[in-house]
Amino acid sequence: MKKPTAVPPIDPVRRRWLQAMAAAPLVAGATTPSLVKAAVKTRARIVIAGSGLGGIAVANRLSQLLDGAKITIIDRKEEHNYQPGYTLVATGVWPVDKVRDRNADYQPAGIEWVKDMVASFDPVANTVTTASGQRIEYDFLVVATGVHLDFAQIAGMDVAAIGREGLTSVYPSPEAAQATWAAMQAFTAQGGQAVMTLPATPLKCAGAPLKMSFMLRDRLFKAGTLDASKIRFQSALGNVFGVKVVNDNVLERWQTLGIDVEFSRALKAIDIGARRATFSSPEGETQEMPYDLIHVVPPTRAPDAVKNSELAWKEGPFAAGGWLEVDKSTLQHRRFPNVFGIGDINGTPRGKTAATVKKSAPLVAHNLVEVIAGRQANQAFDGYTSCPLITREGSAMLIEFDYEGRLTPSLPMIEPLQDSFFAWLMKVRMLKPAYMAVLKGRV
Amino acid sequence: MYEIWLMLNIVWEIALGIWPLLLAGAVLWLALLGTAWRQDGQHWRANILPALVIGAAVAVVAALLLPGSIGSTLSDMGYWVDWGMLLALAAAVGGMAVAFAWPLLSWRHGRARA
Repeated sequence: MKKPTAVPPIDPVRRRWLQAMAAAPLVAGATTPSLVKAAVKTRARIVIAGSGLGGIAVANRLSQLLDGAKITIIDRKEEHNYQPGYTLVATGVWPVDKVRDRNADYQPAGIEWVKDMVASFDPVANTVTTASGQRIEYDFLVVATGVHLDFAQIAGMDVAAIGREGLTSVYPSPEAAQATWAAMQAFTAQGGQAVMTLPATPLKCAGAPLKMSFMLRDRLFKAGTLDASKIRFQSALGNVFGVKVVNDNVLERWQTLGIDVEFSRALKAIDIGARRATFSSPEGETQEMPYDLIHVVPPTRAPDAVKNSELAWKEGPFAAGGWLEVDKSTLQHRRFPNVFGIGDINGTPRGKTAATVKKSAPLVAHNLVEVIAGRQANQAFDGYTSCPLITREGSAMLIEFDYEGRLTPSLPMIEPLQDSFFAWLMKVRMLKPAYMAVLKGRV
Repeated sequence: MYEIWLMLNIVWEIALGIWPLLLAGAVLWLALLGTAWRQDGQHWRANILPALVIGAAVAVVAALLLPGSIGSTLSDMGYWVDWGMLLALAAAVGGMAVAFAWPLLSWRHGRARA
């Protein structure tokens, strides 16, 4: 009988290193599920309408998950803007360059980029037509057009005038955010009457109007002109935030900070030169309000191409805005199963934020691949969204919630309603890197 | 697991943004390490304590200065998570200081005795 060979003793430290090295692929595999899946072979033609965060993130993921698909992105815009950073630019925390990048740098290799805008969708014929008249056929469609900022609903409003005569708005562009900061600086130097607005429509980054109010108050305080100033928040919503516990918390803070709130005032008209705003109540009464600084938040709706198409909701709460009729769980169109929606365009209860895209882009890509493979969309979205709600320079609240308005902190130790240096650090230093990882289809 | 993967990606993206600085730091550190290693009469063990003291001092300074570097203040520390994050960041800065101070002190000590 052969004598077993003696096994040399292993140094315990070396053993731990070997165990760690052996476990490394398991950890990597568990944390990067999309990267270890075999690509699905297909000749499908996939059109992605829009190249914001949602469009590019899904394009990158589909490039990893599919082999042989023809992916086309349609969007004229060449600059990629980190929109969650607009409030930081508009309040003097960030320079404007930090929210500007190039779309070309983030699109996956091998896709076709049509530098045009979708003018109309025909989901019955599976085609889209661009503004220049190009007709593009598809087998599968991802709608990622974002929202239309409907400043036209405010009589007298001129986006080009933002930054002059105390007119501000953080929403339209990096330039508008920069001009808003210039106007805010001029205002805080002397103080005066500030009017902040909030429309009744679904809103892109619903926390932005609140952040602007908190930061304006902080800037007035630091400039020493708070005593000579008054901030009036005019909401048309009946509240200031859709999640009750957050709404109550903000109102309590504003009461302490001296920010007045009206709950049923919609901005209808503005006389920029005279610095007068006209608000209407649900009963139809109008009221003029003079101001030294006004922050205009535009009503939002779906872009015309979606609103006027068969893809839009035809009834229910999302029909008026023409939002995309998707199932809120699978984000698959309810009538056209080869169509999916990602981001702000979706007619879903909450979540027109980058955080929503972070959580839903992997799901949309997965469900679309399932449908391409002849199976059912089988992953469900819980409506996750997040709002790092700035309460002053240096502090924020990291609020995360779902469709039902339940607070859902990603890390159990996070206190969502606690003023926090950690949340501020996340907002100013960590969320843009996270956004970039989402954009590249990695998280 | 998702949060770990997300955090790794955040660190990676931050590193991508400052890679020339990181590369220069790494080259400098390796050069320092090599120079100290080649020198006769190394004094690694004797210099670990001074290096740790320097690291601790740098960590304390970092804890005081880090909030201000992002427009915050120590009075903005709301709860234990804030303090935990600040101390972790300060410890990381202190750790880097130790990584540079240890070979530097060993090299200087060796030169002085040579």
